[in-house]
Parts: sequence; structure tokens; C-alpha cells
Amino acid sequence: MAVTALSERPEIYRLPQYKYVDAVRWLPPLSAFDRFAVLALFDSDSDTSSIEINSFKPNPASLEPQSSWVSPSRVSSLKASQFLQKTIIAASTFAGSLHFLFSDSTDASLESEVSVPENELHHGPVSCVDLMDGGMECVSVAEDGKVNLVSVGNSSLNYRRVFDSSGLVSYTAARWASPVEFATGGYGFSLHWWDQRKPGGPVSQFKGNWDQKMTAGIVHSIDIHPSRKHTCLAGGSLGTVFAWDLRWQQQPIMLSRAGTVASDTEVQSVSEIMEFFTDIYLLSSFKNAEFSLGCLLVLLHSYNWTLAISEAFDKRKKLRRKPCTDFPFFISYQKRSNGIVLLNWRPILNLTFFVIPRQQ
Amino acid sequence: MPGGDGALVPVSNENRGSVVVYPLHHGLNPPIARLAISWSRGNSLRVSVFRPPSEGEAGGKVVEVNLSNGDSEISDAQRRRIAYGSVSPFALLQSRRSSFSSLSKVPMTPSLYHLDWCEHVIEYSKDISSLLGGPKLPPSPIIEDPKAIFKKGEEPTYLKAAWEMMEIFYADKQSQAWLPERLVDWLADYDSLFSSTQATIHSKLVDFQKDIVNIQVIEDDSRYWEVISSALAVGWLDVVVKMLRLHGSYQLDQLSYRETENGLIEAVAVLISKMPRLRPESASGKLGECFKSKPDFNKAWEKWRAQITKLDCSAFWIHCDNLRTREGLKNMLQIMLGNIESLCMATCHWIELYISHFLYIRPFTMGIESMYSLAQKCIQSKPVSSAHRLTGLMIGILEENTEVVLAECSREYGPWMVAHAVELLTAGSEQAEILLYEERYNLGGISIGELHRLIYAQVLSSHALTWQIAPIYLTSCMKQGMSLLEILLYRQSVQHNELLLKNIELCRLYGLDHISSSIMKVAGVYHWKHGRKGSGIYWLQQAQDANRLHIIAQQLFDSVGKSISDESFKQWEGVIELLGSESKTAGGLEFLRKYRDFKKFLQQVPGGKSTEAARRAVDSLILLMKNPSTPQRFWLPLLYDSLKLLNWQDCPLLNVCETNLLLNKVQELSLARVRPDFKESSLPPEALSCVRLALATNLGRAILDE
Repeated sequence: MAVTALSERPEIYRLPQYKYVDAVRWLPPLSAFDRFAVLALFDSDSDTSSIEINSFKPNPASLEPQSSWVSPSRVSSLKASQFLQKTIIAASTFAGSLHFLFSDSTDASLESEVSVPENELHHGPVSCVDLMDGGMECVSVAEDGKVNLVSVGNSSLNYRRVFDSSGLVSYTAARWASPVEFATGGYGFSLHWWDQRKPGGPVSQFKGNWDQKMTAGIVHSIDIHPSRKHTCLAGGSLGTVFAWDLRWQQQPIMLSRAGTVASDTEVQSVSEIMEFFTDIYLLSSFKNAEFSLGCLLVLLHSYNWTLAISEAFDKRKKLRRKPCTDFPFFISYQKRSNGIVLLNWRPILNLTFFVIPRQQ
Repeated sequence: MPGGDGALVPVSNENRGSVVVYPLHHGLNPPIARLAISWSRGNSLRVSVFRPPSEGEAGGKVVEVNLSNGDSEISDAQRRRIAYGSVSPFALLQSRRSSFSSLSKVPMTPSLYHLDWCEHVIEYSKDISSLLGGPKLPPSPIIEDPKAIFKKGEEPTYLKAAWEMMEIFYADKQSQAWLPERLVDWLADYDSLFSSTQATIHSKLVDFQKDIVNIQVIEDDSRYWEVISSALAVGWLDVVVKMLRLHGSYQLDQLSYRETENGLIEAVAVLISKMPRLRPESASGKLGECFKSKPDFNKAWEKWRAQITKLDCSAFWIHCDNLRTREGLKNMLQIMLGNIESLCMATCHWIELYISHFLYIRPFTMGIESMYSLAQKCIQSKPVSSAHRLTGLMIGILEENTEVVLAECSREYGPWMVAHAVELLTAGSEQAEILLYEERYNLGGISIGELHRLIYAQVLSSHALTWQIAPIYLTSCMKQGMSLLEILLYRQSVQHNELLLKNIELCRLYGLDHISSSIMKVAGVYHWKHGRKGSGIYWLQQAQDANRLHIIAQQLFDSVGKSISDESFKQWEGVIELLGSESKTAGGLEFLRKYRDFKKFLQQVPGGKSTEAARRAVDSLILLMKNPSTPQRFWLPLLYDSLKLLNWQDCPLLNVCETNLLLNKVQELSLARVRPDFKESSLPPEALSCVRLALATNLGRAILDE
């Protein structure tokens, strides 16, 4: 097993929250001094959900609530992006509604909100939303088999259905690859590649030629690195992480999975991979390798969530990882931001701040 | 609704003390016909109150009652944090216990075994104790207030105080020799907790601290001397010395004419800071000289006492003209000499008097028995009006009565405390171990320890945010834990994927495959019913439930249309992908996979040239037609699609037997057409006759061939 230790131990700070944290994201930074994080909170005692913008103070690490908005249902997915000096926060709920919050980038005050009511786009819980980087487009997918695109205007929304599988295919993850392309993931480790220029259905489908021993699972998270747009990385059930290269569609590159490890280049992991981030800047030692990406994995263990950092995997399919914490959290990772991750200690309502020293 | 006319259940006055009454404000007029009670969110009960049906009035009302325990010391969130934090120390101790019991088969000296185990228990206790800290206070100011007597630390909690007390008596075997000194430290940390029921030295100090800025000449205030001697009596030496140095004679302008007075104060201060203590070492900043061994301490103690006596008889007192200072200092010397009357005067609560005994009268370890009788004596001289949460526990411990300790823990601190304190109680006490781990017939064959663990697990199970740690406690219960765990896992909702995944992971962890397959079945049916067919199929497939998949397949083919032409087949691609490889259960959906293969082969037969490809296509056609899961309504489209195979130019592709099978199917189909529930396919009307003709031709050729 190709596991090596990180040269430096990450620093971990815990920021306790007194409500259940459903999701957490960094807001895109406008200045070097102000850092804001958006939290989707759930108060189990009063049964209320809210989205809160907190300003982050590094010394000592703390979060101070700035503004808050009451959500009609629990938040299932949360994303944030920036467009023309404005921060957009997209949130989907378990009831099936979509909400877009606009906040002032300088003081993080909430300015307005537009929403799509439940049963309009999706029936039942929305699995995932993704906002285009620096754009006003949002893709939403759900287990009801619908794929929708929402164009976010200042006060109005335009939405259209990209695809409806009438429930035959259930989608669990979505990620933009470019302004016109995005990828979706679902049950049975299915990955679909969509191109807005070619409507009517997915342009490519990942047909996993899994060997017999391999059990199919659910894709929980997809990441596509801006510099490797042809490679779709997916993580999901039973510790599976694989790369799907659009140029060689029939050959998924297995990076991690459960069970017997076929070769010494794979890593064994039995937990569910709930979130998954890659960053080319995370590690530079494989600079010339074809896949020179570092990635962060969030694993689900039975009692908690665990973070693993895969330092890098290259074309020799090496994945190096290190479990860092033994407490549960959620993760939001900002690319090119000195490797700062905001984590959430989930069941006990703790939020953790996590710094990974960049190794350059 | 007690007492009044509307009371549903009479509450007799004798039970008043033990019954907690929650008044319900339902606002309905009597009579009330029916009550339904169920659990609501968190710690709330949902009570539905119904009236007999009548016109013009509401038929009933639903109210929620929050069953808060009223213990505002620890919030629910804090309680959850403690619950999560205590999981890993608990689990660690359990695994050590099991490895220990396997080790103990190997002959080992019992004392060594004991010592080792006690080390584990003390580590566990320290881990737990670190979780129980109260809310942190703001950091202390950089410029220290010269008049601040107190350093503010963590806000003490009863829970932590109780835990540490048990740690001192049960777990910390190594410091048993200086147990009195540990009690002194304990009281220094938690004296403020006794202020809730009556005045304590701590509350006196706090009051004095408030007034200190308004006092002009501090040594003329009688409270100054009172507070100093009180602090001295319970051994807060640094506070005492600090306060002595606030004495007016230390001021530069007065030093010259109050030289003797100041000298006496300084002499007392030095004596106090040199007080011998029987303990390994004191925390930094604490005064006193520490001695580890008893003989050394004895020597130092005698010497120290001699010094005090000498100072007491010194001639300097006559030259000290400040009466208050003289009397105050003399009283302090009396306290240090162990004058019982002075100690009694200086202390407020009996526990303070008790501690002062350890410091000045009997500074040596004594047996628990004599400690108990001493406590009795202290209570007699300082009787308490009402029981206190901590003293009850303390008396129980001193009495060596495990049942009382357990009852006090349960009554005052709840199930968390009992479940975790059992480990402390049994450490090193065989008697307690027998009491707590003996299987009892009246408890259904489980021990008291297991019972309390189960109770705590039930508390955890009842909350949505803590159920996932209950399995740790349940699996540590040999007798009934597993069955309760199965019930717990069954009971979780399958609506949210994350919860479902966690639930399945727990099943995997504890080898409960039958439970996880049931859960997956439930999830599959749930998703299917809500129109999420893909996820429904996935979970049923994971559960290998061929039966339900078969039923689902029938419904699925019904809903999607009569034919599976090339156009409509596209939408099935996703499902076929989901079904995965041959080896996996697919039930009736197997047809889709086989049909896809058939289509693939058919497409590879262009223009009727490759006989090899055509043979493969025929093989898969026969497979399809033989398979009972192929729905009847697809028979004709399948045969119609493969007309070109039936009319193959070069040679007949089907043998006699295979042709007969297909002819039989066509015959069955013609019979079925007569039935009222038959669904006509969208094929041209001559399709059936075309197929029949082709089959007949093929049969003729096949017979000739053979």
C-alpha cells in the first residue's frame, strides 16, 4: 500500500457550534483580511433551519455570525460563488426547493433572496447543486432523475429542464467542468457528461467495466480540476475513488477502493467517501506527472467523519493518504488559498478549522 | 392537570415529591374522552387530547410538553459534547478490559495485575474529567489587579466535582497516601458549589473582594481578619499570604513606625508559606513545602509546629500596638496549631471544617472508617439544613456503601454519570465488582452495571443526534445489548441517504448482515414508492431481493409502454448500467440486460452476411424466450425484430427444437389475444402472420437439414 506520511502535521482548530451543521462553505474572498464562511444550520430542538454567514477570525480561531436567513426546510446542498462583486449562495433543501441568496461581498450582509418553490424543479429532496465558477448558472440534480439548469438573475430566475429520466436514473452529485459542460454522478457509480450545446441527453456515459468482484456503489462527490477538465474524479461508496478520463472513456483509473487490493498501487479504504476535493497546488512533487493532483477525501466512518489527504496520485496510480482526525466534520476547500479547509464536527455540532501547510 | 376537577390521573399528596408534574394547557372543556401520547422531537412529548364528538367545539388538541430535566448547569449541546467525548475513553477501557481478562489466564501476581489495571482506569478517569470542564472564562487581564485575591479559573460544575471526588477515592490508587491533600485541592476548586445552599468561605471571599476597593484601612476591618483565617483554615495559603501583604503596615510611608507589627505579619506569612505538606509536589505557584515520605514530613511538621509555638510565645507581641492585627495574627497561629475552636469559628460548611481537620489536626492518612466518623463529627458541629448534591455522594463514599453512591449518581447526575462511574466504582474493589457485575435473576439475568449501561444507551438512542454512539454501549452489554442494537438500527429512518449509509456501516461493523439487508429493502421500497426508481432498484439489488425486483420489473414494464423500440429503449440504458454485471441479482429486470445483449448482437448482423454474428444473436434470442421473466407482451416485438434471422439466406439458424419452442410461444400468444386483459402491441397487424410464416419456413428447412 502506497501510504506515506505528510511531512508536517496539519493544525486543527475546533470551532464549536451549538446547532447541527448541515453544510459549510467558504465564501469567495474579496480581500486578504476578511474571510467569511456560510453555514447551513439546523436546530433540532426547535426544528428550524437557517443559513448563516459568519466572519472568520483566525486569531484566536472563531466564527462570528454576521447575517442569517431562515430556510423553510433543512439544507441538503450548499454552494457559493462570486459574480460581479456579488456573492451568490445557492442552497437546495430536502423539501425540494432551491434558494439563491445574494450577499454584499464586502460586509457579507444578505441583500436579497430568490427561490424556486418545491415541486417546481424536483419532487423530493434535491441531492446536489453546483454553481458555475464566476457565473450565474446553477445545475441541480436529484434522485427523482431530473437535471435542471437555473440561470440566476438579480431578481429573477430562469430555469429549464435538461433531462428527466422519470426516476429511472437517480442523480446524487453534480459538478461544472466548463461554462457549457458539467458532470453528474449517481447510483451504480454512473457518471454522465453533459454538454449544453448538445441537448437531449448526456453526451457521454461512463460504462464501468467493473470486474466481477467490484461492487457498484453511489457516487457521493465529483471534482473536476480546472486545469484537467477532461478528467472527472469521483468518490463514493466503499472507499472508491476513480478517475474517468474522457479521452479514454472505457478505462477508469481506480485510485482507492475496499476489499482486496488488486495491486500495490491502490489504497484500501472501507468508508464512504462523502466529499472529495482536488488541488493541483496541494503538492508539487509530481509536477511533471500526468496526474499531478493532490486531493482531500472526507470519509464516513460509522461513528464519525474522517479526513484523509491524498498527497498525490500520478500516472503510476499512486494515492498517498493520511487520516488526520478522528472526529467528524464537513469540509469546504478553497483552491489556491494556502490550503485552508473549514471542517465541521458534525454530530456534536463542532466546526473545525484546518490548515494544511503547502509543500512547495 | 393535578388536583383540579380536570385531573385525569389523581396524584396523591404523598407522591408529590417524587412525581414531576407538567401542566398541560390544552384549553378544551371537559369531558376528555381520550389521550394519546407519543414522542416528539428531542426531549418532547406530544400529547393529543380528544373530546367526545360534539358540534360547535374543537374535537381535540395536540400539545407538546418539553421534558427538560431542569438542570440548567449543563446545556443539551454541552451534554451531547460530553456524550461524544466519552465514547473513545469508554471504548478504550472496554477493549483493555477484554485483553486484560485474556491476559489474566496467564499466571501473574495479583498485585501487579491490579496496579496495571488501575493505571488504565485512572487514564480513563482523567480523559472523562477533561471533558466535563465548564465554560471557559475570558482570559485574565494582562495587568494584574494588585487587589484581586482570586484567580478566576474554569467555572466549576457539579458534574465535574462529583467525578473528581470519585476519582480521588476510587481510581487514583497511587495518590492514596496523600488522599487528604487531594481533598484539600478538591475543595479549593469546588468550594463555590456549596455556596448555593449556605454561606461558604468562597462566598465570604467573593463578598469581601467586592468591597475591598471601598475599604480605607484594611486591617481595621474585622472581616479582613475573618476572611484571612477562614482561607487559612482550608489551606488556601497563596490567598492568605496575598491578603496579608495588603496589610497597611506594608505601605512605605507607614513601614517606619509600624516596624514590629510588620515584622510579625511577615513572620506569620513566612511560616504559612513554609507549611509542610504530605504530597508529591504542589502545582506551580502554590505555597508550602512538599514531602513525599512520612518520616520526612513528620520531622518537618514537628519543626514547623515548634516554630509556631515559639512565635506564639514571642515577646514581640507586647510591642505590637495594633490590637486588631495582634488578635488576628494570634488567631491564625491558633488555627495553624490546630485549635478546634478556632477552626470551627473560621469555617462555614461542615466540609470546610472537615478539610481543616486534615490540614491542621490530623495531617496523616487514616482509614476510610475513621474518615467517616470524623465526617459525622463535623456534621454534628455544623449541621446542614438541606441535603446537598455533593455531600450526599461524599457520605456514600465514606460509608463505603456502593449502592448509596450509585443511587446518588443516578439521582443527581443522571444515566451518563452512572454508566461511566461504574468503571471507577469497580476499580480495585472486589466487593463492588461482585455487586455490580453479578448476574441477577430479578433483572432478567443481567448485572446492575449492564442495566445502567443499557439505560444510558436508551437515552442516547432516543435523540437524533446521539443514536449513532449508542451501539458502542450496547455492544459492551453481553446479555441484551445485541438485541437492543438490532431494534435501534431497524428503527432509524431511511429517508436521508447519509443516515442510511451510516446505519448500514454500523451493521457492517457489528456483523449484522440480516439487519442491513432488511434496512436496504425498506429503503428500496421507500424510494421506489416515491418515484425514485433508480435508487429503489439499487437498494433492492444491494439487498439481493430478487422477489421484489421481480414485482418491480412487472410494474416498470407496464409503466413504460407496450413496446421497446429503439427509440424508447434509450431511457433504459441508465437502469441497465445500474444493474451492473451478470453476477448480480436483478430479478425480473434480468430481461433488460438480456434484451440489451440481444440488440447488440442484432446490430452486429448487417446485410445478412456474417453467419457467426447471426448465430450469437439467435442464441441470445432463445435465451430470452426461454427465460420466464421475459414479459409476454415483448414476445412478438422480439420475434418481429429477428425476422431477418428467421429468414437467414445461407442456412437455417434455428434447429427443429428451437423452432418448436418459438412456435409454441407464438401459439400461446394467439391464445392470449382472446383474453380481455391482452394489450395489443404497436406493431403492424400482419406482424404475427409474418413471424408465423418465417418460423414455419425455418422449421421446414431445419427438418430438411437434419
